[in-house]
Amino acid sequence: MSNTHITWIEGSIVEHEVHMTMVELAEATCTPQDMIMAWVSEGVLSPAGGSPQDWRFSGNSLQRAKTAARLMHDLELNLPGVALALDLLEELDQLRSQLHLANAAPNKE
Amino acid sequence: MKFKDYYETLGVARTASPDEIKQAYRKLARKYHPDVSKEAGAEERFKEVGEAFAVLKDPEKRAAYDQMGSNWKSGQDFSPPPDWNSGGFTDGDFGGDQSDFFESLFCRGARAQAGRQSQPRSAKGQDQHAKIMIDLIDAYQGAKRTIGLSMPAYDDQGQLFMQERKLDVSIPQGIRAGQNLRLAGQAGPGFGGGPAGDLYLEIGIHPDPIYRIEGKDVFLDLPLSPWEAALGTTVNVPTPTGALLELTIPPGTPAGRKMRLKGKGIPSKEAGDLYVVPNIVLPSAETEAQKEAYRTLQGAFDFKPRSHLKG
Repeated sequence: MSNTHITWIEGSIVEHEVHMTMVELAEATCTPQDMIMAWVSEGVLSPAGGSPQDWRFSGNSLQRAKTAARLMHDLELNLPGVALALDLLEELDQLRSQLHLANAAPNKE
Repeated sequence: MKFKDYYETLGVARTASPDEIKQAYRKLARKYHPDVSKEAGAEERFKEVGEAFAVLKDPEKRAAYDQMGSNWKSGQDFSPPPDWNSGGFTDGDFGGDQSDFFESLFCRGARAQAGRQSQPRSAKGQDQHAKIMIDLIDAYQGAKRTIGLSMPAYDDQGQLFMQERKLDVSIPQGIRAGQNLRLAGQAGPGFGGGPAGDLYLEIGIHPDPIYRIEGKDVFLDLPLSPWEAALGTTVNVPTPTGALLELTIPPGTPAGRKMRLKGKGIPSKEAGDLYVVPNIVLPSAETEAQKEAYRTLQGAFDFKPRSHLKG
């Protein structure tokens, strides 16, 4: 056995350091650029920048776009449906965390 | 390989109409969708339901499946009949997540064909996604993980095949649940000199028994006795990294009043905060002396906790 030197691959946190262009976001989510534009006009995603070429997607855009793509594909939701579902899911997530805290409260015997 | 009863999976009769099948699928898909349900095993169920629907919604595939007869029971050992020809099903509609059972019936032809598609002269490799789970302390301190992934690669003949690859990944301090780590150029190979695709790792954080995590902020329930809350005290509060912080509880602290320890949440450029949430715990009065203590308390106060309720 020889000693192998491990090179640890450093990534960048998309939500902190990466501002994706529309092309990058389309590739990362396997979604046509038209669909990205439709999501933006529906308010599912809110990029910075004026025109589609200048758009920069930051924050949780990648996560939202991935979820939107899955929901549209798997459940055949339409655009307003996806926008509503994403907002509700976000709220549900918060409620679940709160519930988790309530259940974990140590005063229950 | 086990036989799968797709009708049973969707909970419909073998004679179900296409509409009934679609209805059953939609209902189950909404229930078990991994973005919607956090139930254990939901993702597994969702895949099974999706696989069943992929076959039963397509009249040709359904006919081929039905042709195998209804004598098969779910879970029975199965191999496709010798005269079975899967070559006709090549519509590439399958995400690649199907069971062996499904693949043996419908995917072999499609897979063999996929390598022969005409390719543009040069193209960027496909981006890939995977999910990894870390602990809360990893988000505080960073971590190193070796992950195994199945990745596409080209052989000498330019055919695409799947290859097991191990990646040593450094997980940066300050990453939060739901965030993605982009490893540039670590996914599918480019074609004809094109760049390799990017690998995206979605981060999940295991639920912690003590702390609740909300983005970059972390919450801790702090049990206090009634006299500690009423008179004030000093307590040692553990942080997720194991350090102890001395926290002064002011007299008259009500339950639920969050106390913020600035910058002690998940670190990052703008570090999160650690919130301590007091929780007042009542000791139960068991011995006569304890009961007497409560009675003394009662006598000392003119306390009307329900004064805001009418009647």
